Amino acid sequence: MTNAATERTAAELALGETPSFEELVDRAALAEMVHSFFELFRLPIRVFGEAGQILADASEQPALYAYLHTSGAGRRALADVVTRVKTLDPGRESEAMFQCVTGALYQISSITYDDRQLGRIIVGPYLPPGSGDPPESLTALDPKLDPARLRELLAEMPRGRPETVTQIVRHLTKTLDLILFSGHKAWLTSSMHLASVRESFRDLSDKNAKLQQAFDRLKELDRLKSNFLATVSHELRTPLTSIIGYSEMLSEGIAGDLSPDQREFVLTIHEKGEQLLELIKGLLDLSKLESGTMSLRKADVDVVPVIRDVAQTLTPSARKKNVELQVHADGVLPTVWGDAERLRQVFLNLTENALKFTPDGGTVTLRVLPSYMERPPDDDAGFVLMATRRAAVEVRVEDTGIGIPEPERNRVFDAFYQVDGSSTREHGGTGLGLSIVRRLVDAHDGLVHIEENAPRGAVFVVRLPCRRTTMA
Amino acid sequence: MQIDFGARELTIKLVYYGPALSGKTTNLQALHRAADPSAAGRLMTLETRDDRTLFFDLLPLTFRDKMGLSVRLKVFTVPGQVIHASTRRLVVQGADGVAFIADSQVAETQGNADSFMDLKENLKASGMQLSRMPLVIQFNKRDLPSVRSDDEIATLAAQGREPVYLAVATQGEGVVETFIGLLHLTWSGLDAEHDLTRKFGFDARVFIEEVASKLGSQRSLPELLGTCVGGALDVLKPEAVR
Ligand SMILES: Nc1nc2c(ncn2[C@@H]2O[C@H](COP(=O)(O)OP(=O)(O)O)[C@@H](O)[C@H]2O)c(=O)[nH]1
Ligand SMILES: Nc1ncnc2c1ncn2[C@@H]1O[C@H](COP(=O)(O)OP(=O)(O)O)[C@@H](O)[C@H]1O
Ligand SMILES: [Mg+2]
Ligand SMILES: [Mg+2]
Repeated sequence: MTNAATERTAAELALGETPSFEELVDRAALAEMVHSFFELFRLPIRVFGEAGQILADASEQPALYAYLHTSGAGRRALADVVTRVKTLDPGRESEAMFQCVTGALYQISSITYDDRQLGRIIVGPYLPPGSGDPPESLTALDPKLDPARLRELLAEMPRGRPETVTQIVRHLTKTLDLILFSGHKAWLTSSMHLASVRESFRDLSDKNAKLQQAFDRLKELDRLKSNFLATVSHELRTPLTSIIGYSEMLSEGIAGDLSPDQREFVLTIHEKGEQLLELIKGLLDLSKLESGTMSLRKADVDVVPVIRDVAQTLTPSARKKNVELQVHADGVLPTVWGDAERLRQVFLNLTENALKFTPDGGTVTLRVLPSYMERPPDDDAGFVLMATRRAAVEVRVEDTGIGIPEPERNRVFDAFYQVDGSSTREHGGTGLGLSIVRRLVDAHDGLVHIEENAPRGAVFVVRLPCRRTTMA
Repeated sequence: MQIDFGARELTIKLVYYGPALSGKTTNLQALHRAADPSAAGRLMTLETRDDRTLFFDLLPLTFRDKMGLSVRLKVFTVPGQVIHASTRRLVVQGADGVAFIADSQVAETQGNADSFMDLKENLKASGMQLSRMPLVIQFNKRDLPSVRSDDEIATLAAQGREPVYLAVATQGEGVVETFIGLLHLTWSGLDAEHDLTRKFGFDARVFIEEVASKLGSQRSLPELLGTCVGGALDVLKPEAVR
């Protein structure tokens, strides 16, 4: 497998170039064919390549030509004939007739394949039946040549009717064309086979190298990150756990009775401690998502049980706030391709928010419905093909709370962003929840956006695609 | 594309892409059948015993204009089966235009989309961009019962930018239309890039009409181009092609 062969193949494949005659036809087989032609018709035949090289030859030198070779003028005349029949342009019709000094005829037919001239077939010299006298061009050639001898030798020349010879050569050309086509096909098949194997190999090595690179990078990143993350989480959480634990014990009076003021202060310490812990957990999640070190364990997930589980988890806090929490999931739903635990986190976050921002007497509804993802986000090529590209599941978290004004709807997904800073004090929270939601949804190739809920409240709409089926 | 100024010869490569069994080979067969013998060479099919395309099909078409310019069109198909990914990548190399043959059956919707993604990736792997590739889409097998509706396709097509054709390749319906749409789009793109009209003193409209008539169509070019559905017609105007 030389380099040149590869390049040839690539160029061939790029534009369907035709290989040369010799690449398409077996020389020995061609010689055999030409020979059997000669056996059958007794007409001299030669096949030349486009560069003038002889590819097959089944002809004996006629005795007349041997005799002419004994004379200088005869030799020159014959050399001229050879040049003429090898270079004569058969033109658009692809066939021509040439008459040489001896009066003998040559039938010249070009071999074309795919509109390209590959060579020529030359049949001759031969004489039409009946012709006897040497033409003047022959007798006048050299006075040293004996006219009687010429006449005698001329009579021994191969004979054929020009129309018949033309027919025979046409048939031969057609046969040869078929052979060329088969040869081309075989040639293409084998070069394609070779090229495909090479391409597969190249592709695999490429992928391997990329995987190795990504693996090395991730390993390094993982080492750095997880070191850092492990340290942070350990170093921060350990003391924080103590703060939370001891303040809780204090508030419960384990270390002696507290005055109402003392109790209130201790409870504040406890509450802020819990908040800080939440913040640290959120930051950890976020940085894992950002660094790409959060590994999702994807499988076909039925979303409905996930949603029901979220609702069940949050029912107590909904009751406490006197907010009604409902789940609607009807009809047949496809499974989505995702990590059930992370999806649970998404809907827990959204539902917590909905409950948090919905006042007493309100309703929070979790709705699951079949849907589809309209198109890949960044490209509109092939819309008609991609439009219904992937089936998806839509989850709507609807509340009747304070709502989110239009201009804020994108910004709430930024880390730490809260619509009303003062609400932090009222509602608590870190402002990290939605940025985690967005990143998790992204990691599932999904989309999340906010809609208005009439007459009041907000709707968070999450769409998660189903698995891409492989080609049939 | 290959240009040989000396021989006044131009070779253009067109590729029929799509999922397995969507009708790519059938399209080429119908083109071959429709084409005047003076224009079409033999249709070469490299296929396996079970009729599936192994490597590709190749239909060579040659047209000569009055000025002596000869245009050689090499029309390829790709094998749709997943395992032939490397072959698809090879065949698509150097393509000047692509006809995407989709199977209209509802059940094939996902297969079409997957194959389209595959096209995009394979072009990218060969350093080409789908968004810059002259592209027409054909929804084939319109004669089958459970196909996506004309309305649905028209609505979606109106939102996309590629011309979309409906076809029954087995009956030759929509085949020449798809091909002429592709040729027109491809030529406009190549012309804009290489200034062919000026260099060769070539009338594209006359040429494409000539091709259409050699493919047995009596209709005028605007009429032929007008058979695509959706609002994508304007991409067929040369000035709309970058
Ligand atoms: N009913 C119907 N069948 C078609 C049509 N076009 C192609 N087919 C059939 O679909 C099958 C696959 O076609 P083929 O051209 O080999 O697909 P390729 O794999 O894309 O080359 C064959 O059995 C065709 O006869 C069509 O328009 N209508
Ligand atoms: N259901 C909702 N109704 C009204 N506002 C909301 C709702 N969900 C989120 N928000 C707004 O988006 C902000 C960011 O939310 P999030 O990232 O979850 O942080 P947090 O809940 O910790 O404040 C909230 O502070 C609030 O202003
Ligand atoms: Mg929150
Ligand atoms: Mg095929």
